[in-house]
Amino acid sequence: MAVRFGYGILYVPDVAATVAFYQQAFGLSLRFLHESGLYAELETGSVTLAFAGEAMAEMNGVAIRPVRPADLAPGLEIALVAVDPHDAYDRAVKAGSIPIKPVEQKPWGQLVGYVRDCNGFLVELCSSMNG
Amino acid sequence: MLARQTYHELDHLTDLADGIEAVWASVSAAHSPYRVLPDGRCDLILRFDAADVPGVRPVPVITGPTSTFYDLALTPGAGFAGLRIRPGFFRAVFGFDPGRIAEGHLRGEEALAAQPALAGLVAPVQRVEDLPEQLAAFVRGQVRKSRERPALHVSTLLGAVHASGGRMSIAELARLHGMSPRSLHRLLREATGLPPKLYAEILQFQRAMRLVRDQGLSPAAAALEAGYADQAHMSRAFRRFGGMSPARLSDVTLVTLRG
Repeated sequence: MAVRFGYGILYVPDVAATVAFYQQAFGLSLRFLHESGLYAELETGSVTLAFAGEAMAEMNGVAIRPVRPADLAPGLEIALVAVDPHDAYDRAVKAGSIPIKPVEQKPWGQLVGYVRDCNGFLVELCSSMNG
Repeated sequence: MLARQTYHELDHLTDLADGIEAVWASVSAAHSPYRVLPDGRCDLILRFDAADVPGVRPVPVITGPTSTFYDLALTPGAGFAGLRIRPGFFRAVFGFDPGRIAEGHLRGEEALAAQPALAGLVAPVQRVEDLPEQLAAFVRGQVRKSRERPALHVSTLLGAVHASGGRMSIAELARLHGMSPRSLHRLLREATGLPPKLYAEILQFQRAMRLVRDQGLSPAAAALEAGYADQAHMSRAFRRFGGMSPARLSDVTLVTLRG
Protein backbone atom coordinates (compact mmCIF):
# COMPACT_ATOMS: atom_id res chain seq x y z
CA MET A 1 0.00 0.00 0.00
CA ALA A 2 1.39 3.40 -1.01
CA VAL A 3 -0.03 5.35 1.91
CA ARG A 4 -1.67 4.74 5.23
CA PHE A 5 -3.99 6.98 7.22
CA GLY A 6 -1.70 8.25 9.99
CA TYR A 7 -3.22 11.38 11.50
CA GLY A 8 -6.39 13.36 11.79
CA ILE A 9 -5.32 16.91 12.66
CA LEU A 10 -7.89 19.44 13.82
CA TYR A 11 -7.04 23.14 13.62
CA VAL A 12 -8.23 24.73 16.85
CA PRO A 13 -7.93 28.17 18.50
CA ASP A 14 -6.39 26.84 21.73
CA VAL A 15 -4.46 23.55 21.69
CA ALA A 16 -3.91 23.27 25.46
CA ALA A 17 -7.59 23.93 26.24
CA THR A 18 -8.65 21.39 23.62
CA VAL A 19 -6.33 18.73 25.05
CA ALA A 20 -7.71 19.36 28.54
CA PHE A 21 -11.25 19.07 27.18
CA TYR A 22 -10.56 15.77 25.39
CA GLN A 23 -9.00 14.35 28.55
CA GLN A 24 -11.99 15.37 30.64
CA ALA A 25 -14.81 14.68 28.19
CA PHE A 26 -13.57 11.52 26.49
CA GLY A 27 -10.94 10.13 28.87
CA LEU A 28 -8.21 10.27 26.23
CA SER A 29 -4.63 10.86 27.32
CA LEU A 30 -1.94 13.13 25.97
CA ARG A 31 0.89 11.60 23.94
CA PHE A 32 2.81 14.72 22.99
CA LEU A 33 2.56 18.50 23.43
CA HIS A 34 5.02 20.68 21.53
CA GLU A 35 6.74 23.38 23.62
CA SER A 36 5.27 26.08 21.36
CA GLY A 37 1.82 25.04 22.56
CA LEU A 38 0.73 24.92 18.92
CA TYR A 39 0.62 21.14 18.38
CA ALA A 40 -0.43 18.12 20.42
CA GLU A 41 -1.17 14.44 19.86
CA LEU A 42 -3.46 12.18 21.87
CA GLU A 43 -2.97 8.47 22.60
CA THR A 44 -5.44 7.13 20.06
CA GLY A 45 -3.82 4.00 18.71
CA SER A 46 -2.83 3.42 15.09
CA VAL A 47 -4.48 6.59 13.80
CA THR A 48 -3.35 9.65 15.73
CA LEU A 49 -5.81 12.37 16.65
CA ALA A 50 -3.82 15.60 16.82
CA PHE A 51 -4.54 19.30 17.32
CA ALA A 52 -2.78 22.21 15.65
CA GLY A 53 -3.17 25.84 16.65
CA GLU A 54 -4.83 27.93 13.96
CA ALA A 55 -1.62 29.99 13.74
CA MET A 56 -0.06 26.85 12.23
CA ALA A 57 -2.25 27.17 9.13
CA GLU A 58 -0.57 30.39 8.05
CA MET A 59 2.86 28.94 8.88
CA ASN A 60 2.13 25.78 6.88
CA GLY A 61 1.06 27.79 3.84
CA VAL A 62 -2.52 26.54 3.97
CA ALA A 63 -5.76 28.34 4.69
CA ILE A 64 -8.73 26.81 6.46
CA ARG A 65 -12.28 27.63 7.45
CA PRO A 66 -12.04 28.03 11.24
CA VAL A 67 -14.40 25.86 13.27
CA ARG A 68 -16.46 27.51 16.02
CA PRO A 69 -19.25 26.23 18.27
CA ALA A 70 -21.62 28.99 17.11
CA ASP A 71 -21.26 27.95 13.47
CA LEU A 72 -22.65 25.01 11.49
CA ALA A 73 -20.45 21.95 12.13
CA PRO A 74 -17.92 21.19 9.36
CA GLY A 75 -18.69 18.15 7.22
CA LEU A 76 -16.67 15.57 9.05
CA GLU A 77 -16.85 13.71 12.34
CA ILE A 78 -14.42 12.21 14.80
CA ALA A 79 -15.70 8.74 15.71
CA LEU A 80 -14.58 7.47 19.13
CA VAL A 81 -15.26 3.82 19.88
CA ALA A 82 -16.37 3.23 23.48
CA VAL A 83 -16.98 0.07 25.49
CA ASP A 84 -20.14 1.74 26.80
CA PRO A 85 -21.32 4.54 24.48
CA HIS A 86 -24.12 5.56 26.91
CA ASP A 87 -21.57 6.22 29.67
CA ALA A 88 -19.25 7.95 27.23
CA TYR A 89 -22.07 10.21 26.06
CA ASP A 90 -23.07 11.19 29.61
CA ARG A 91 -19.48 11.90 30.58
CA ALA A 92 -18.92 14.02 27.45
CA VAL A 93 -22.03 16.11 28.05
CA LYS A 94 -21.20 16.54 31.73
CA ALA A 95 -17.79 17.89 30.69
CA GLY A 96 -19.38 20.53 28.49
CA SER A 97 -19.88 18.88 25.10
CA ILE A 98 -22.92 20.13 23.24
CA PRO A 99 -25.46 17.26 23.09
CA ILE A 100 -26.64 16.62 19.53
CA LYS A 101 -28.17 13.17 19.52
CA PRO A 102 -28.33 10.71 22.44
CA VAL A 103 -27.05 7.19 21.90
CA GLU A 104 -29.39 4.87 20.03
CA GLN A 105 -29.11 1.52 18.35
CA LYS A 106 -28.68 1.48 14.57
CA PRO A 107 -30.41 -1.20 12.42
CA TRP A 108 -27.05 -2.96 12.11
CA GLY A 109 -26.79 -3.23 15.89
CA GLN A 110 -24.24 -0.48 16.58
CA LEU A 111 -24.81 2.06 19.38
CA VAL A 112 -24.25 5.61 18.14
CA GLY A 113 -24.59 9.08 19.69
CA TYR A 114 -23.37 12.54 18.69
CA VAL A 115 -21.99 15.55 20.55
CA ARG A 116 -20.01 18.60 19.48
CA ASP A 117 -16.67 19.25 21.15
CA CYS A 118 -15.48 22.51 22.78
CA ASN A 119 -14.56 23.91 19.35
CA GLY A 120 -17.63 22.80 17.46
CA PHE A 121 -16.33 19.62 15.77
CA LEU A 122 -18.82 16.78 15.57
CA VAL A 123 -17.84 13.77 17.68
CA GLU A 124 -19.55 10.39 17.29
CA LEU A 125 -19.52 8.07 20.30
CA CYS A 126 -20.15 4.50 19.20
CA SER A 127 -19.72 0.85 20.02
CA SER A 128 -17.24 -1.32 18.14
CA MET A 129 -18.47 -3.26 15.12
CA ASN A 130 -15.72 -5.85 15.57
CA GLY A 131 -16.99 -7.40 18.76
CA MET B 1 14.78 47.71 -10.08
CA LEU B 2 13.83 45.95 -6.90
CA ALA B 3 16.85 44.41 -5.26
CA ARG B 4 17.16 41.77 -2.59
CA GLN B 5 18.67 42.97 0.67
CA THR B 6 20.55 40.98 3.26
CA TYR B 7 17.33 40.57 5.20
CA HIS B 8 17.25 37.66 7.61
CA GLU B 9 15.09 36.50 10.49
CA LEU B 10 16.23 35.17 13.84
CA ASP B 11 13.79 32.32 14.33
CA HIS B 12 14.85 31.50 17.89
CA LEU B 13 13.59 34.91 19.06
CA THR B 14 10.01 34.34 17.89
CA ASP B 15 7.70 34.17 20.89
CA LEU B 16 4.04 34.25 19.92
CA ALA B 17 2.78 34.10 23.51
CA ASP B 18 4.57 37.38 24.24
CA GLY B 19 3.58 39.09 21.01
CA ILE B 20 6.81 38.54 19.05
CA GLU B 21 5.99 37.31 15.56
CA ALA B 22 9.49 37.66 14.15
CA VAL B 23 12.77 39.44 14.83
CA TRP B 24 14.78 40.46 11.79
CA ALA B 25 17.94 42.30 10.81
CA SER B 26 19.18 43.83 7.60
CA VAL B 27 22.24 45.77 6.47
CA SER B 28 22.12 47.27 3.02
CA ALA B 29 25.06 46.43 0.73
CA ALA B 30 24.46 48.86 -2.11
CA HIS B 31 22.51 51.90 -3.26
CA SER B 32 19.13 50.45 -4.03
CA PRO B 33 15.48 51.03 -3.39
CA TYR B 34 13.80 48.48 -1.18
CA ARG B 35 10.13 47.85 -1.70
CA VAL B 36 8.15 47.49 1.49
CA LEU B 37 4.93 45.55 0.92
CA PRO B 38 1.87 45.91 3.15
CA ASP B 39 1.44 42.94 5.48
CA GLY B 40 -0.99 44.38 8.03
CA ARG B 41 1.69 44.16 10.69
CA CYS B 42 3.42 46.82 12.78
CA ASP B 43 7.14 46.75 13.49
CA LEU B 44 9.45 48.26 16.06
CA ILE B 45 12.66 49.12 14.22
CA LEU B 46 16.07 50.38 15.28
CA ARG B 47 17.84 52.21 12.45
CA PHE B 48 21.55 52.89 12.39
CA ASP B 49 24.46 53.39 10.02
CA ALA B 50 26.81 50.41 10.18
CA ALA B 51 29.82 52.72 9.58
CA ASP B 52 29.17 54.47 12.93
CA VAL B 53 29.18 51.29 15.06
CA PRO B 54 30.33 51.10 17.81
CA GLY B 55 29.03 54.22 19.50
CA VAL B 56 26.08 55.33 17.41
CA ARG B 57 22.66 55.65 18.99
CA PRO B 58 20.04 53.81 16.93
CA VAL B 59 16.94 55.72 15.85
CA PRO B 60 13.71 54.01 16.96
CA VAL B 61 10.87 53.76 14.46
CA ILE B 62 7.37 52.45 15.16
CA THR B 63 5.68 51.56 11.89
CA GLY B 64 1.90 51.62 11.73
CA PRO B 65 -0.17 49.24 9.65
CA THR B 66 -0.05 50.19 5.96
CA SER B 67 -2.23 49.20 3.05
CA THR B 68 0.06 50.10 0.18
CA PHE B 69 3.65 49.56 -0.88
CA TYR B 70 6.41 52.14 -0.66
CA ASP B 71 10.05 52.24 -1.69
CA LEU B 72 12.83 53.01 0.76
CA ALA B 73 15.97 54.57 -0.75
CA LEU B 74 18.78 52.67 0.96
CA THR B 75 22.43 53.64 1.01
CA PRO B 76 25.29 51.19 1.67
CA GLY B 77 25.60 50.48 5.37
CA ALA B 78 22.01 51.41 6.24
CA GLY B 79 21.29 49.03 9.09
CA PHE B 80 18.04 47.86 10.65
CA ALA B 81 17.05 45.57 13.46
CA GLY B 82 13.33 45.04 13.63
CA LEU B 83 10.67 43.19 15.55
CA ARG B 84 7.32 42.37 13.99
CA ILE B 85 4.57 42.66 16.56
CA ARG B 86 2.08 39.81 16.59
CA PRO B 87 -1.34 41.19 15.56
CA GLY B 88 -3.31 42.16 18.66
CA PHE B 89 -0.29 42.97 20.86
CA PHE B 90 0.45 46.52 19.66
CA ARG B 91 -1.37 48.22 22.51
CA ALA B 92 0.36 46.08 25.14
CA VAL B 93 3.76 47.12 23.76
CA PHE B 94 3.19 50.80 23.02
CA GLY B 95 0.25 51.82 25.20
CA PHE B 96 -1.90 53.16 22.35
CA ASP B 97 -3.89 51.68 19.48
CA PRO B 98 -2.19 51.05 16.11
CA GLY B 99 -4.96 53.00 14.32
CA ARG B 100 -3.34 56.22 15.59
CA ILE B 101 -0.43 55.69 13.18
CA ALA B 102 -2.24 53.82 10.39
CA GLU B 103 -0.55 54.41 7.02
CA GLY B 104 2.28 56.16 8.84
CA HIS B 105 5.03 55.79 11.41
CA LEU B 106 6.68 57.47 14.38
CA ARG B 107 10.38 58.13 14.16
CA GLY B 108 13.06 59.22 16.64
CA GLU B 109 11.78 61.80 19.14
CA GLU B 110 8.17 61.18 18.07
CA ALA B 111 8.50 57.50 18.90
CA LEU B 112 10.17 58.25 22.25
CA ALA B 113 7.44 60.74 23.13
CA ALA B 114 4.73 58.17 22.33
CA GLN B 115 6.42 55.40 24.32
CA PRO B 116 9.08 56.77 26.73
CA ALA B 117 10.16 53.22 27.69
CA LEU B 118 11.90 53.06 24.28
CA ALA B 119 14.66 55.20 25.82
CA GLY B 120 16.19 51.99 27.13
CA LEU B 121 16.71 50.77 23.57
CA VAL B 122 18.59 53.74 22.15
CA ALA B 123 21.82 53.49 24.12
CA PRO B 124 24.99 53.62 21.98
CA VAL B 125 25.33 50.38 20.02
CA GLN B 126 28.34 48.25 20.95
CA ARG B 127 27.59 45.22 18.81
CA VAL B 128 24.98 45.19 16.06
CA GLU B 129 24.44 41.49 16.78
CA ASP B 130 22.99 42.36 20.20
CA LEU B 131 20.15 44.52 18.87
CA PRO B 132 17.67 41.74 17.95
CA GLU B 133 17.98 40.24 21.44
CA GLN B 134 17.47 43.68 23.02
CA LEU B 135 14.34 44.29 20.94
CA ALA B 136 12.91 40.92 21.95
CA ALA B 137 13.67 41.56 25.64
CA PHE B 138 12.02 44.98 25.44
CA VAL B 139 8.81 43.72 23.83
CA ARG B 140 8.58 40.68 26.11
CA GLY B 141 8.99 42.96 29.13
CA GLN B 142 6.31 45.38 27.92
CA VAL B 143 3.82 42.60 27.18
CA ARG B 144 4.41 40.79 30.47
CA LYS B 145 3.82 43.87 32.60
CA SER B 146 0.90 45.15 30.53
CA ARG B 147 -2.76 44.71 31.39
CA GLU B 148 -3.57 45.22 27.72
CA ARG B 149 -2.78 41.74 26.39
CA PRO B 150 -5.34 40.82 23.73
CA ALA B 151 -8.45 39.26 25.28
CA LEU B 152 -9.12 35.64 24.39
CA HIS B 153 -12.03 36.49 22.10
CA VAL B 154 -9.91 39.01 20.20
CA SER B 155 -7.09 36.46 19.72
CA THR B 156 -9.68 33.96 18.51
CA LEU B 157 -11.10 36.47 16.02
CA LEU B 158 -7.65 37.40 14.71
CA GLY B 159 -6.81 33.69 14.53
CA ALA B 160 -9.81 33.10 12.28
CA VAL B 161 -8.97 36.00 9.97
CA HIS B 162 -5.39 34.76 9.58
CA ALA B 163 -6.14 31.02 9.37
CA SER B 164 -8.65 31.65 6.59
CA GLY B 165 -6.05 33.57 4.59
CA GLY B 166 -8.29 36.65 4.56
CA ARG B 167 -10.93 34.76 2.55
CA MET B 168 -13.89 35.22 4.90
CA SER B 169 -16.16 38.25 4.81
CA ILE B 170 -16.91 40.31 7.91
CA ALA B 171 -20.49 38.98 7.82
CA GLU B 172 -19.24 35.36 7.75
CA LEU B 173 -16.74 35.98 10.55
CA ALA B 174 -19.45 37.61 12.66
CA ARG B 175 -21.80 34.67 12.16
CA LEU B 176 -19.00 32.20 12.92
CA HIS B 177 -18.40 33.85 16.30
CA GLY B 178 -22.03 34.59 17.17
CA MET B 179 -21.29 38.32 17.15
CA SER B 180 -22.81 41.31 15.38
CA PRO B 181 -20.86 42.54 12.32
CA ARG B 182 -20.62 45.91 14.05
CA SER B 183 -18.94 44.55 17.21
CA LEU B 184 -16.61 42.40 15.16
CA HIS B 185 -15.64 45.38 12.99
CA ARG B 186 -14.84 47.48 16.06
CA LEU B 187 -12.76 44.76 17.78
CA LEU B 188 -10.72 43.98 14.68
CA ARG B 189 -10.19 47.63 13.84
CA GLU B 190 -8.92 48.37 17.36
CA ALA B 191 -6.57 45.39 17.29
CA THR B 192 -5.09 45.91 13.81
CA GLY B 193 -5.51 49.63 13.16
CA LEU B 194 -7.00 48.99 9.71
CA PRO B 195 -10.56 48.53 8.43
CA PRO B 196 -11.15 44.75 8.74
CA LYS B 197 -12.04 44.24 5.06
CA LEU B 198 -8.82 45.94 3.99
CA TYR B 199 -6.83 43.92 6.54
CA ALA B 200 -8.30 40.68 5.15
CA GLU B 201 -7.50 41.76 1.57
CA ILE B 202 -3.88 42.35 2.57
CA LEU B 203 -3.64 38.86 4.12
CA GLN B 204 -5.19 37.40 0.96
CA PHE B 205 -2.62 39.24 -1.19
CA GLN B 206 0.26 38.04 1.02
CA ARG B 207 -0.93 34.44 0.77
CA ALA B 208 -1.35 34.64 -3.00
CA MET B 209 2.25 35.89 -3.32
CA ARG B 210 3.49 32.88 -1.37
CA LEU B 211 1.39 30.45 -3.37
CA VAL B 212 2.96 31.75 -6.59
CA ARG B 213 6.50 32.32 -5.41
CA ASP B 214 7.23 29.79 -2.68
CA GLN B 215 4.66 27.07 -3.29
CA GLY B 216 5.12 26.99 -7.06
CA LEU B 217 1.46 27.28 -8.05
CA SER B 218 0.52 28.60 -11.48
CA PRO B 219 -1.18 32.02 -11.38
CA ALA B 220 -4.50 30.38 -12.20
CA ALA B 221 -4.20 27.80 -9.40
CA ALA B 222 -2.98 30.45 -6.94
CA ALA B 223 -5.91 32.74 -7.74
CA LEU B 224 -8.36 29.91 -7.07
CA GLU B 225 -6.75 28.79 -3.79
CA ALA B 226 -6.32 32.36 -2.52
CA GLY B 227 -10.02 33.01 -3.11
CA TYR B 228 -9.91 35.47 -6.02
CA ALA B 229 -12.72 35.32 -8.58
CA ASP B 230 -10.17 34.83 -11.37
CA GLN B 231 -6.59 35.52 -12.39
CA ALA B 232 -7.37 39.09 -13.46
CA HIS B 233 -8.78 39.78 -9.98
CA MET B 234 -5.54 38.51 -8.43
CA SER B 235 -3.42 40.61 -10.82
CA ARG B 236 -5.35 43.71 -9.78
CA ALA B 237 -4.60 42.95 -6.12
CA PHE B 238 -0.89 42.52 -6.94
CA ARG B 239 -0.84 45.92 -8.64
CA ARG B 240 -2.84 47.61 -5.89
CA PHE B 241 -0.89 46.25 -2.90
CA GLY B 242 2.49 45.53 -4.47
CA GLY B 243 2.72 47.79 -7.50
CA MET B 244 3.75 44.82 -9.61
CA SER B 245 2.50 41.99 -11.73
CA PRO B 246 2.66 38.38 -10.45
CA ALA B 247 5.57 37.81 -12.89
CA ARG B 248 7.82 40.32 -11.03
CA LEU B 249 7.53 38.59 -7.67
CA SER B 250 10.97 36.98 -7.70
CA ASP B 251 12.60 40.36 -7.05
CA VAL B 252 10.85 40.97 -3.76
CA THR B 253 11.89 40.00 -0.24
CA LEU B 254 8.98 38.33 1.51
CA VAL B 255 8.96 38.28 5.26
CA THR B 256 7.81 35.26 7.20
CA LEU B 257 4.33 35.69 8.55
CA ARG B 258 2.97 33.90 11.54
CA GLY B 259 -0.53 34.38 12.84
